Amino acid sequence: MSTTAPGAPATDLAPPPPPQGGRSPVTLQVSWLLARRGSGRSAVLALPVIAFATTTTLLLVVLAGALSFLRWDDDVAALYQALAAFAVVLLVVPLTSLGGAAARLSARRRDDRLATLRLLGATTATVARLTVLEAAAVAASGALVGVGGYLVLGPFVQLIPFRGERIGAAFWLAPWVVACVVVAVTLLAALSAVVGLRQVSISPLGVRRRQDAPRAGWVRAVVGGVVVLAVVLSVQVGYADTAVAIAVILGAFGAGLGVLNLLGPWVVSVLARRQVRRADRPERLLAARSMAQSPKAVWRQISGVVMACFVAVVAGSGVSLASASDQPVSGPEQFLTTDIRTGILITVVATFLMVAASAGVTQAAEVLDRAELYRSLDRLGMPEETMVAAQRRTIMVPLLVVTVGAVALSGALVLPLAGLAVAMAPVSVLVIVGCLVLGVLLVRTGVAASRPVLRGVLAEGRS
Amino acid sequence: MTAHAFTAPPPAPAAVPVLHVRGLTKTYGMTTALAGVDLDLLAGQSVAIMGASGSGKTTLLHCLAGIVRPSSGSVVLTTSAGRVEVSSLPDGQRSRLRRERLGFVFQEGLLIPELTAVENVAMALMLRGVPRPAAEHHAALWLQYLGLAGMEERRIGQLSGGQAQRVAIARAQVTGAEVVFADEPTGALDSDTSREVMQALLHATVGGGRTLVVVTHDDAVAAQCQRVVRLRDGRVVADTLEEA
Repeated sequence: MSTTAPGAPATDLAPPPPPQGGRSPVTLQVSWLLARRGSGRSAVLALPVIAFATTTTLLLVVLAGALSFLRWDDDVAALYQALAAFAVVLLVVPLTSLGGAAARLSARRRDDRLATLRLLGATTATVARLTVLEAAAVAASGALVGVGGYLVLGPFVQLIPFRGERIGAAFWLAPWVVACVVVAVTLLAALSAVVGLRQVSISPLGVRRRQDAPRAGWVRAVVGGVVVLAVVLSVQVGYADTAVAIAVILGAFGAGLGVLNLLGPWVVSVLARRQVRRADRPERLLAARSMAQSPKAVWRQISGVVMACFVAVVAGSGVSLASASDQPVSGPEQFLTTDIRTGILITVVATFLMVAASAGVTQAAEVLDRAELYRSLDRLGMPEETMVAAQRRTIMVPLLVVTVGAVALSGALVLPLAGLAVAMAPVSVLVIVGCLVLGVLLVRTGVAASRPVLRGVLAEGRS
Repeated sequence: MTAHAFTAPPPAPAAVPVLHVRGLTKTYGMTTALAGVDLDLLAGQSVAIMGASGSGKTTLLHCLAGIVRPSSGSVVLTTSAGRVEVSSLPDGQRSRLRRERLGFVFQEGLLIPELTAVENVAMALMLRGVPRPAAEHHAALWLQYLGLAGMEERRIGQLSGGQAQRVAIARAQVTGAEVVFADEPTGALDSDTSREVMQALLHATVGGGRTLVVVTHDDAVAAQCQRVVRLRDGRVVADTLEEA
């Protein structure tokens, strides 16, 4: 029978001194340990993987479509290739935003553990490496799933016609290109994680967000207004030289985008302040204050839509107008306008899909970030519907304002062209408008997708 | 006016059990958090629930407030609206009950950081359908009552810990909640601020004839309450009335 008192050591021999620290790879070892003891909340792990998978699938599909144009080498091939490259470049903005959102969500999942590691003596650098490594691992997993998505979608996308024939077998990318995309998405996630880490402070007592930079000021509005005025005036002037005219139009396009990005956070913050004053219901007040708190973060999520709207209106007007006029019935240019319109629709839908995924992931990250606050609101009796409505409004109100604003601004920049397109090719214009509406609905669906995460967080507080 | 200047205590409360608890148990898998709690909490009474970590005090508070559903037993709440068996209500009705009849103060306040002080308090009224101007007006009166006049437009991050807790107290009381539950309301405060916050809490609740249930580790906090209930291993092991 043992005579050892409860809680007393089982042996008189004290444990030996701890082993000396060696050269074992700390980051890898700890990462592996944390990965094995993963969070029980499956949605938390699944969401960034889904986000990266969506990113990769869309990127591969767009890239495959663009590279399939390389099989032509006639007179208009260069134009097709340039437009395809332009579409890919346009998708980089929402892609970066989506990658960043996924990386931030991935980092939030480990907040408690990262703080504990700091308490145990891990350096900021070790914690940073852990976060980046994990974000990269999650991204790589998502990217591999995304390759599967590309393979599944491929047979359908192959059916899209360009230049009168289906894309067909030219759609399939070489394995090394697919591998490069997987690596690129993984690196993008790692990079976003590094940027995300700069926005949080991981101390031994917890992880907290650093305050946002000061609000965007009215100076931006003045600068933006002057640039817009200059652009509107410059495109109204007739240019004898075609090259000059093209340069002016491209310059106007670039300046317009620049102005929108300059004004974006300011517009969101003005909108938010207005909404704060007018809010008469809990969800409206919550959404407005949330927007006012971080207009830059809201803008980051929706800024990709601006580009899509610009392309839809500027290029869409031109293409609609061209399709309404006499078309060559033969030769390499006979499909040009139809093909550009197809390209525009694909780019717009892909952009909105990325924004939708980004919105869903960001909202989920927000819920996890403030889980304890949401639980306390639930305890106070705030209905789940109110919380969901506040989340939805935080994204949808600025999205709608920005979409309408971007369409109006780009329409103003190419006013004669847009006006003629509405008059001469209303169906083509309606298709593009329908595409924008579909995009907005996609984003709304993306926001709604974060609801299971909120439900899970609230359920934890009720059990 | 501040809450620190106590007025004369209200008349002795009538012996009406605002919360009538019988045979309350709560288990999580193989772990028993509550093992048959019987308790009657009287209207206008301040009650401290004490116990070591893991003794079941927070679970008891959550069961009393309808935040979690007990495994067995009953919790009957009697308010001006009538009697209701809390644990048998569906989730939506329990939320409504908390919104309309109960108030909460948490350790960290858990206020919404992007809202101002007055908006945080008004939110509780707006959730009941009160128009925002009226809600903010009433919220401002509560902030003034609790010594926060002039701080209505401050964000939570611009307030001290004690001030933030007073905002939380105002939020808990602005709806006229008949029972206020406080989970370690002074846990994150120094002793002087803790005493001030506790006085404000008592003044705003018991001072107005409401019932206050406080979960605490702190003997000094418990000593300010009229009654102390001690838990161990999910059971009530002591239930004492403090001397006035």
